[in-house]
This record gives sequence, C-alpha cells and structure tokens, in this order.
Amino acid sequence: MNEAVMNELAEPIMKKSSGPETEESLNIEYGETVGQPFCEQAKIKTKNVNVFYADNQAIHDISLDIGSHEVIALIGPSGCGKSTYLRTLNRMNDTIDICRVEGQILLDDEDIYHKKQDPVLLRARVGMVFQKPNPFPKSIYDNVAYGPRIHGLTRNKAELDDLVEASLTKAGLFDEVKDRLHAPGTGLSGGQQQRLCIARTIAVQPEVILMDEPASALDPIATAKIEELINELKENFTIVIVTHSMQQAARVSQRTAYFHMGRLIEVGDTDQIFTNPAHELTEKYITGRFG
Amino acid sequence: MNNTDLVKKSLQKRYLKERIFKTMGFVSIATAILFLLILLTDIIGKALPAFSQTNIELQVELSEEQLGINANSSEDDIRNADYRKVIREALLGLFPDVTKRKEKRELYSLTSMGAEFQLRDTVIENPEFLGTTQTINFLADDDVAGVVKGNIDRNLPESDRRVKNQKLGWIETLEANGQINTTFNWQFFSSGDSREPEMAGIKGAILGSFFTLLVTLALSFPIAVAAAIYLEEFAPKNRFIDFIEININNLAAVPSIVFGLLGLAVFINFFSMPRSAPVVGGIVLSLMTLPTIIIASRSAIKAVPPSLREAALGLGASKMQTVFHHVLPAALPGILTGTIIGMAQALGETAPLLMIGMVAFIVDIPQSVVDPSTVLPIQVFLWADSPERGFLEKTSAAIMVLLFFLIAMNAIAIYLRKKFEKKW
Amino acid sequence: MKISALIFLVLLFAAFSYFMARQKITTAYRQHKSKHKILTLPKYFGYVAALCSLLPALLVLLFLQIVEEPYINSEISTFISASNIEANQDLDLYLNEIKGADTPEKVAALSEEKQMVYQRYHEIEQTTARTISVVVLAISILLAIWGLRKININTPARKVFEKIIEGILLLAASIAIMTTVGIVFSVLFESTRFFGEVPILSFMFGTEWSPQTAIRADQVGSSAAFGAVPLFVGTMLISFIALLVSVPLGLMSAIYLSEYASRSIRSVAKPVLEILAGIPTVVYGFFAALTVAPFIRGLGESMGLSVASESALAAGLVMGIMIIPFVSSLSDDVLSAVPQSLREGSLGLGATRSETIVKVLIPAALPGIVGGVLLAASRAIGETMIVVMAAGLAANLTVNPLEAVTTVTVQIVTLLTGDQEFDSAKTLAAFALGLMLFITTLILNVIALHVVRKYREQYE
Repeated sequence: MNEAVMNELAEPIMKKSSGPETEESLNIEYGETVGQPFCEQAKIKTKNVNVFYADNQAIHDISLDIGSHEVIALIGPSGCGKSTYLRTLNRMNDTIDICRVEGQILLDDEDIYHKKQDPVLLRARVGMVFQKPNPFPKSIYDNVAYGPRIHGLTRNKAELDDLVEASLTKAGLFDEVKDRLHAPGTGLSGGQQQRLCIARTIAVQPEVILMDEPASALDPIATAKIEELINELKENFTIVIVTHSMQQAARVSQRTAYFHMGRLIEVGDTDQIFTNPAHELTEKYITGRFG
Repeated sequence: MNNTDLVKKSLQKRYLKERIFKTMGFVSIATAILFLLILLTDIIGKALPAFSQTNIELQVELSEEQLGINANSSEDDIRNADYRKVIREALLGLFPDVTKRKEKRELYSLTSMGAEFQLRDTVIENPEFLGTTQTINFLADDDVAGVVKGNIDRNLPESDRRVKNQKLGWIETLEANGQINTTFNWQFFSSGDSREPEMAGIKGAILGSFFTLLVTLALSFPIAVAAAIYLEEFAPKNRFIDFIEININNLAAVPSIVFGLLGLAVFINFFSMPRSAPVVGGIVLSLMTLPTIIIASRSAIKAVPPSLREAALGLGASKMQTVFHHVLPAALPGILTGTIIGMAQALGETAPLLMIGMVAFIVDIPQSVVDPSTVLPIQVFLWADSPERGFLEKTSAAIMVLLFFLIAMNAIAIYLRKKFEKKW
Repeated sequence: MKISALIFLVLLFAAFSYFMARQKITTAYRQHKSKHKILTLPKYFGYVAALCSLLPALLVLLFLQIVEEPYINSEISTFISASNIEANQDLDLYLNEIKGADTPEKVAALSEEKQMVYQRYHEIEQTTARTISVVVLAISILLAIWGLRKININTPARKVFEKIIEGILLLAASIAIMTTVGIVFSVLFESTRFFGEVPILSFMFGTEWSPQTAIRADQVGSSAAFGAVPLFVGTMLISFIALLVSVPLGLMSAIYLSEYASRSIRSVAKPVLEILAGIPTVVYGFFAALTVAPFIRGLGESMGLSVASESALAAGLVMGIMIIPFVSSLSDDVLSAVPQSLREGSLGLGATRSETIVKVLIPAALPGIVGGVLLAASRAIGETMIVVMAAGLAANLTVNPLEAVTTVTVQIVTLLTGDQEFDSAKTLAAFALGLMLFITTLILNVIALHVVRKYREQYE
C-alpha cells in the first residue's frame, strides 16, 4: 500500500484525538486485530463494537472475547479508549447522555444492550471497581452490606453478617477492620478504601469484575496488596482490568489486550505480548517509545 | 445462577419503587408549575375588569343662573360653583318619578363622587360651555361598574345582592338607552390612590416605587461594588475580614421586617427623618439589598481571570489602577446583573416599608424623594385590605403592574448576562 | 446657611484645591526637568489636595448634624426648667408642638408661654446652624490652604491617594457590620425599655397576649398581657406547615430536575421555579387570603370540619409553595456537590437510580440538606406579608392548623402600624418581638451557614 493511501486512512483519526504520538502513528496501518482475540469458553463476547461521544468516535470496531475465569488486562496509552471499552461491558456508559454504543456485546450469549436487558441486573452480574476509591460515606459494614441489601441477597441479619465478613475476608481487609466495622469507611487509608470497594463489589457475588486502574491512586505497598488480591480472586471471578502499568499487567493477567487510538491492536497471552509482540505499535508501546 | 435469580426476584419490586420515586419527583415539580398557573390565571382573571372603566353619559344643563357664574367669572368662582347640583338634576331629569329623599340619595350615587370634579375641570377648560347643554361622560360608581362588568350577579335574590332592585332598574334603563359605556381605564395609570375604587389609580405608587428604588440604587450600587472590590482584591486574611464576611452572609438571611425595625428606630426616631418618605425606604432597602449585590459582584470579580491582572501589573500599573482600569470593567456585566436582581428584590419588598410608615393613605402623587408616598407592593397590601368589592380588581391589576416591572427587570438582567457572558 | 449650600461650598473649595495642586506640580515638573524617572501624574496631587480638605470637612459636618438635634433639645430643656415653665406634659410632645409651628398662624396659636419657648428655640437653632457653617467652612478652607502649601513633588501622591481610596473601600465593606450593630442596638435598646415595664419571664412564658388594652396611659404594663407564647406557637405552627410542604416538594423537585427530567421538562420547570422565587410575598399573601383560604374553608366545610377563614393551614400552605424554589435550589447545590464517583460506585453495584439517590446521595448530602432546611425554617419564621394578610390577629394558643393563629411578625406589624405614641409598652413590645425574631433567625442562619460550609469543604 502506498504512502498516500496510508495517510488518508490515518488522517481522520488524527483530527479527532490529538494524542501525544504523532509522526510515528501516521505511518502505521490499522488492520485487523493481531493475535487471538477469540477464545473457546468466552464469558463475554464483544463483536464490532463502536462507541461515540456525540459525534466523536471513541472506540472503533472492537471484537474481543473475555474467557471464563481469566484475568485479562487492557493496556495502552492514555486516551486510547480502554476505559471507555471497559465501561461498555456493564453499561456504565448509560449514565452519560451523549454516549452511544453500536455493535454486539454478549454476556453468556445474551445481548446486554438488548432492549429487554436490564442494566441493574447486568451490573449485579458484572461488578466494577473504580480508579479512585469511592467508599460511601457510611460505615465499613454498611458499605459492604449495601449491594446485598438492595438486591435482597440475604434473608436475615445473620446471613448478612456472614456475607459481609466473608467479603471483607476475601478482600483481605477483615483482620484490619474487624474491630471497627461500624466506623466510617471514609476514615480508612487509600489502599484499605480500595480493598473495601472490592469487598463491596464481591459481596454482590458478580460473575465478572471490571477494574478501572484500581491501583493508580495508591502507593506501591497498597498496590502490591491489591495485585495479590486479584490473583486470589481469579479463582472465582472473571476479571477485566484496565491498567497503565505494564508491570502490573504482566504480574496479574493471563491475557493482555493492547488498545491504541480507540482500536484494538493486538491480543495475546500476556507472556507473548510482553516478550514477543507481533504488532509494531505494541512493540513500540512495550519498549516505552510512547505512552 | 442462584445469585442472579435472587437479584431477578427482587427486581420487580425495586422497579416499582423506582417508578414511584420518579413519579413523586414529577408530581413535586408539577405541583409547583400548577400552583404558578393557578396563581397567575386567578390574578389575571381578577385584574382584567380593572382595565376598563364604566361611564354614564349624562346631558347636563350648565345654566349660568343656577351655577351663579358666567364665562367672564374669575377662575376661583368657576372653581367653587356647585356642580354637584347640576349632575343631580340631570339624573333626576332622567328618572323624574324619584321623589323620596332616600331614593334620591340612591339615585345620586349612580355617578362617582368624582363626577362633580370632572365636570368642574371640563368647565374650567371650556368656559364657553356655560349657558349650554352638554353631553358628558361621567365616571360611574363602582357598584354600577360592578353590575355592568358582571361582578355583581343580577340574578341573585335582592336580599343577597349589593345593588337593590330599584337601582338595578335604573342601571338597566340607562343601558337600554345606550347611556352606559366602557372605555379603557387610563385613569388607573394617571391618578393616585382614592377611597373610591373607581377613582383609585396607581401612578402615585409607581412613582413612589421609582423614587424609593432610585435612592436604593444610588446607595447600594456604589457601596456594594466598593465592598466587593475590597473583599475580593484588597482584604487581608484576618479576623476582622472574616467577621465582615460572616455579617454579609448572615444579613442576607435576616428577615426583612427586622430591617424595618432598624429603619424605624434609627432613621425615623433617632435621626428624625421624615416618615413615609421614599428616602428612608430607599435607605432601608439598600441595607437589605447590599448583601445580594455584594455577593453577586464578588463572584463576577472572582470570574475575571488572573492573567488580566498580571498583564496590567506587569506593565507597572498599581493594584488600584489594575482593579479600576481592568478588573472592574470586565466584571461590570456580572455586577449589573446582580444589581438588577437586587433591585427587583427591593421592588417587591413590603414588610420593612410598613414599619417606616409608607403604609399611610396618600392621595397626592409624590414629586420627590422626601414627599410622603407609598410603593407598589404596599398599594397592593392597602387595596387588598379594603372591604369594597371594586378594590379587589384594583389589587389584582396592581399586582399585574408590579409583576410586569419585575419581569421586565429580570428580562434585562438575563439579556445582559447573555450578551456579555464571556468564557475566559 | 442651608446644608445643601454648605456642601456645595465645601465641594467648591475641594475643586479649587484640586486645580491649584495640579497646577503647582505641573509647574514644578517643568522647572525640574528630571527626565530620567517616571513621574507621578499631576492629577494625583490634585486628588490628594482635594480630599485633604473635603473628607475632614464632610466628616465634621456629618458629626455636627448628628449631635445638633440632641444638643438643641437639651438646651431648650434647660431653658424650660430654668424659666420655671411647667411642662405638664411629656417633654418630647411639648417640643414637637413647638417645632411643628412652622407657619405664622401656628405660632400665633401657641400660648404666650410657648411662644416664649418658641422664640428661644429659634435663637438656639439659628446660632447652632451658624456655628456649624462657620466650623465646617473654616476646616474646609484651612485644610485646603494647608494641603496646598504642604504638597510638593516629593509627596508620594499616588500612594497616599490609593491608601485613602482603600480606606473608603474598607469603610464600604464595614457597612455590613454597622448594619448588624444597628439592628442589634435598635432592637436591644427598645427591648430593654420594654422589659423594664414587663418582666422578661412573663413575656417569654406568659400564655396570654392582649396588648390592645394598653392604650390607656394609666394601664400601661399593668393590665395588658404580654405573654408571647401563643405567638411563638403560632409562628412555629405556620412555619412547620410551610416546611412540611416545601422540604419534600423542593427536595423532590431538585432531584427530579437533576436526575430524571428530560431537557424539555427542565426548560419549563427551571423558569417556573425562578418566577415562583421572584413573586413578591405580598402577592402570595393576597392569593392566600382571597383564594386559598376560602377554598380550604369550603373544602373543610364540605367534609364537615369547621375551618377558620384565616386558618393557619392556608397561610402555611402558600408559604410552603413560596419556599419551594429556595429549598430546591439549595438542595440542587448540595446534591451536585456530591462527587460523581459515589454515584458511579452505587450504580456499578447494580443499584437503581432511586436506590442510589435515597441510600447514597441523600445520606452523603444530609448535612447540606439539613443546613438548607434550617435556612428555609429561618425564612418561614421571618416571613411577614403572607401571614399579615392571611393569618389571624387574635392570639390563639392552639396547634390545630384549621384554626386562626397569629405570629410574631404579624404582631410586630399590627403593633407598629397604628397611630400610637412611640413609647407605650405596646410599641416597645414590637421591638421585644423583633429581638426574639432576630435572635432565632440569627442562630438558625449561623448554624446553617456553618453546617453547609463544613459540608462543602468535605468534598472539595
């Protein structure tokens, strides 16, 4: 393909989002996603997903499977659409008026954007942990009990107590807070707050947990704890984690997907992506040429 | 899955709650809208009759002998002649069979108390009418107007009706003769207050409001802008300044009637300023609106970007020059918007002015800020308190005039905000 | 000399010294020709010279004007007691009569004795006026001359001028304090006089309120009852009804508008709320008295209830509607200060919108909402016109919303709008009520403002 055609392809994208990378990108062709975007036992299948904010397209034609009980990391330079993609998986984008999603997203072969699909039920099945710890201004206990209470997951106080304790234990927080379960959750340290948010999410017993840069606001020690936690959680949950730290992706995930300018460039086993990337862009990102 | 089923089970009930909650929200806002609609239609409906004026056309014989004057008489003599009698005779001429004193008195009350002055003024203007018979439109009494406008139901039994059968008969005869007509009520806008509903006008109150607002504006605008500039640009961080800020925020929430007590005790009693005068009302209202304008001006000044200040300071301008040459002009639209909103608030304020005696019954139209006067909202209050049915429509009409001014002022404020709105 | 003429002269001298000073500096600059440094503009020297004579003169004039009247009064009283004239009535009234004689006919109508006092009064008045004029003009001229002599090119004119302006700005900012002090003093001063006649405890805890009997001078304070409890209860009853209407409706309106409403509904509802907020209270009062009260009365009668034509319910309902926009805009501010992340956290767990609002947003915003409710309560308590027009005059100690009650503000207005002499216990009682009103609303406002500020800081 000659240069003129390549430029033509790249131009419109450059106009829309002016990322930090410029000339290098111009010479790159966005073709089919490289690697293995599909897998056998898919929990979530996304097919040809496009996302628009008003007239700006944020996500271009992404097809990706998320396997059952795997940890998949979404990496890429900032503004590449990985968070937007993550938020389409439990329809958190519904809260933004100007956001429009095209394409198909299937959870256990059910279309989650189908008219009859209920976002409330969906979010109970696909939980989310956010970038900044956002405990409710309630007690630690009430934070964790919030989900089970609104969904009616327990029949009595004893069951709820057990569930709260189990969730806090799974999140590795119980020992630290067992004496002050009724103290406000906002009084915890940043790392503890984030683990509280994870406990809050797993208390609903979702099938999938989405994590949007869960450790980016934390110090290294707290980060290590969260990563440890993710490793334990993968026994029971399917986890999709967005991270800007490649080391973190390497440490916690089995598969890694590389996003660039709203496109999915490459998907593969984490080891392969970090040691032997197939796509030129992936390689440049991994080697720190931009991002 | 077990858990999913549990969630599904709860969903129906939860969505019902969601719908109920949403409906409650809608009902709340709908209540507010509905209330406003009822209020406005009620007031406009009551006010409309006030804008028409009912007249009785009478042929009056201006005989020189009877009045004791002629075209060459001095103006004083013409002024003091007995015009009442002329009108009475004209009425008697129409209904010659009325003879009893009591009935006569009823008959004479068909025209307004003001009719004789109307005739007097006509004669003073046209002395050549003397000695001739003229057909003149006289202002009808408010009871007559009530019957003509349908405010008094003719079909009620006589005992429940304000206008008795005999008088009603006269009115219907006059109507049949085409001697009753209605015109647009210019008098409502051109005269002052009166005890007679049909003669009462709103000009005095409008001018009173105007003079009061003039004083308020003259005091509060410069003081508020100066205070806002000081607090935003010059004030050091210390206890005293904190205290000023607490005071401003608190004054914004002090009940307006307390400002009235302040006005009464300090300005009227201590400084012996005139009661009922716009100047005192204006001072009290400006103290009341100061917090509003200060708060608005401060946010307008705060919105001016620091780069503008730095540019001026960088050229060697002093802090004072920077503020007055650059910051203040840039903040002016916001300050003006706040000022107009404060003025609108002052225009609608009633309670503090009651305290300083602007509630007196004043017929004369004020000429300056020290003349006794009343203001629009107090005129509304006074008329609303009057027992005569005719004042009900006047009250509503006065409210419409008041709302008109308020809407106009707010429209100007919105226009200013839109026009000069800058995104820094 | 008339005061306007005096001020004109003072301004004239100031203008004169402005031009002289500017001239002097311009000439001095020309002689020095020191080109190397940036010079202060001559006009600043003019300003300083002008203000140097103007400000002191005006301040002295203001001060003398304030003390003039008390001085004349005391002089004339001394004269009266010195010449053994028996002022068998109140001294204030006596003086008013003499001062009121502004036409020759009225003077002629005065008794011989009073004419003498009148003569003396005029002498004193004229001397005082003359003294004031002389003093002010002297200050003005002397300072103008002194300023002109003193000012030279080494005077830091711009700095001095800016300091003076800054002082004036500070003075303007301090008016808020002066207003508060003025309010406190005026209500406190008259209230202490009232409490001298009526014991404070019987005012605060008495249950009978009938100030009307106090008109007769020999009965002041003795048989009139000034027990304010019925007024406090009435005020609270009406305010409570108003809050019962406005808090849920206002809060729900704010929630609906920010969380649910479509753009078209919002474009109608927001202006409606603004108009409701802008309607003068006297209009609400008229509507309450003439439309709502008869309607409620009719409704009650059709259900077999006896409703007073000035029921607390009617006044409270309309007052509640009036406060809706206030509550709604405060709640809107408070709710939008709750961080978006909390909203997302709750929605992300699968909560519905209403669950998020009721279980997360409102509890998080509770301090702010409470602050808003306190401000609304303070407004309801201090609201005057609606209750003056739609609530009763008679002090009924009841909590039945269908009966007529009276409020603190209603009583203040009725006590002060009649033609009573100012010093009777009746009028002073209004100030005692005003004091109670001021203290109550002050406490509510200070707490509310504090709570709201702390709440905002929490999320900043």
